[in-house]
Amino acid sequence: MPPSRRRPVPTTPTTRPRVAGLRKRPAPAAPELDAQATPVEDSRADGASVNGSSTQDIRAERLGTEDEQVEDAGGARGRGKRSRVQDAQAERSRADEQADEESAEADRADAASAKAAGLIEPGEGVVEDDVPEPAPRPRPTGRRKRTGEAVAPSVLDDQRHKPGETDWAARYRASTTGKSSVHEPARSGLGLPIALFVLAGLLVGLGVWFQNQASGVRYNKALVDSAGTTEVAGQAREAVEKAFSYDFTDVSATEQAADELLVGKAKCQYNAIFDPVRKLAPEQKLVVTVKAVSSGVTSLDGDRATVLLFLDQVTTRTTDNQSGGGIAMMRVGAQKVDGRWRVDNMEMFGQTGDQAGQTAKC
Amino acid sequence: MDVRRSFRTNWVLPVAAVLAVLAAGYAVLAGGWWWSASTNDSVAFSRERDEVLRVGQVGIANFTTLDYKRVDEDLKRWLDSSTGELRSEIENGRDSRKKQIEDAKTTTVSRVLDAAVTELDSRAGKAHLIAVVETTVTPEGGQAVKKVNRYQTDLARTDAGWKLSALGPVAAGGA
Repeated sequence: MPPSRRRPVPTTPTTRPRVAGLRKRPAPAAPELDAQATPVEDSRADGASVNGSSTQDIRAERLGTEDEQVEDAGGARGRGKRSRVQDAQAERSRADEQADEESAEADRADAASAKAAGLIEPGEGVVEDDVPEPAPRPRPTGRRKRTGEAVAPSVLDDQRHKPGETDWAARYRASTTGKSSVHEPARSGLGLPIALFVLAGLLVGLGVWFQNQASGVRYNKALVDSAGTTEVAGQAREAVEKAFSYDFTDVSATEQAADELLVGKAKCQYNAIFDPVRKLAPEQKLVVTVKAVSSGVTSLDGDRATVLLFLDQVTTRTTDNQSGGGIAMMRVGAQKVDGRWRVDNMEMFGQTGDQAGQTAKC
Repeated sequence: MDVRRSFRTNWVLPVAAVLAVLAAGYAVLAGGWWWSASTNDSVAFSRERDEVLRVGQVGIANFTTLDYKRVDEDLKRWLDSSTGELRSEIENGRDSRKKQIEDAKTTTVSRVLDAAVTELDSRAGKAHLIAVVETTVTPEGGQAVKKVNRYQTDLARTDAGWKLSALGPVAAGGA
């Protein structure tokens, strides 16, 4: 990111303002920069390299290579060399601005900074950049002053002469204090960590999503889980066979089986299907035997399953020993409750209209 | 002050880098879980069962659907979806069957109401399937009659995918 901004800055004086402006963007920083901005290119470059952060180095190099004097005036100053006195001043001025911008002190400080800035940086660029800043009121005066009043050459000289140490300190400060002076170095210094944090967040999100997907990979385990498939098929068969088989001598067996093995909707469906038999049975002394001749598990997932049953029914009327048979196809929904599969839904295929109507009410 | 600030920036970057690396490791790991969860043998077997189910349903519907006006077309479809014994049976009895259907002058349309794979041997490439089929028979100029029947079929895997190798109704008393 920093490089792009700098690239546009050519050696020509017109471009200078932009550079300065960029660095100055943060409101509080502006005064500091202006006041302290002393362009010693050499010191800056050195300081940058010393710092060792890549961004700072780059910056320093560019500044040095491109237009040293200009750069110094505009961008380098802020980071680089501030005499302690100037720093102190700047701080003061900053504080003033923040606390009470309208106070006379602030004005003074602004004016001072403005002067310093004025020499180095033409007003236009600075003004534009500054405008977006959060605290616009105090600045206008500062800007005007800066732009309007030329900085005395003496100020520049003083700053230039100052030792490299101050450069370091200033640079650090500039880079570390996000708000007060958001220079390019500061941005780049925090930019990488922020980018990494964001990246880490995204990756964690991705990982969580993957994990969700992994645990959410569900598939029909019919036949895949052969033990489970056999179990549910066997218990579904048993439930239906017992509930629909009937011996007039032992009615309670049928009732008990129906009560235990059928749950929920299946009880109502069972009554609809089996009521006719129950009515005739005592009178005709019926023995009804239902046998599942074939069964296939169509779905099995955890404690839910569906089973397709082919049923044969043999009915014997013991009063005259007449018997008849029939076939039926039934889809059974089963639910595992307390370790046993219980039927909670029954659908007969090929039901007669009456029966279908009855079961549909459930 | 300066020192403190510089310290702050100095540890932020390493911490961020470590976090990013850890997050990347986690993401890779979780991706691996997902991959292994969705590509294991069980999932593959489940897919094969679904394929058998699909082929079986289509095959049974094909074999129980025929129009006396388009017997050749129907018989070709039968041949295409069958293999082994069933196929040779159809080939051998083709002419007699054709005559039979044309004489009956009925149109039969079927659909599978439900079906279940009851056995699947993935290695041997054999499977067994049961199905509930609703058949609508319409004689020429007559009333359509609906019947629900139960069928069972054997399937075998061929180079051209699963095909039906046997088909028949499940009569009372078992098969």
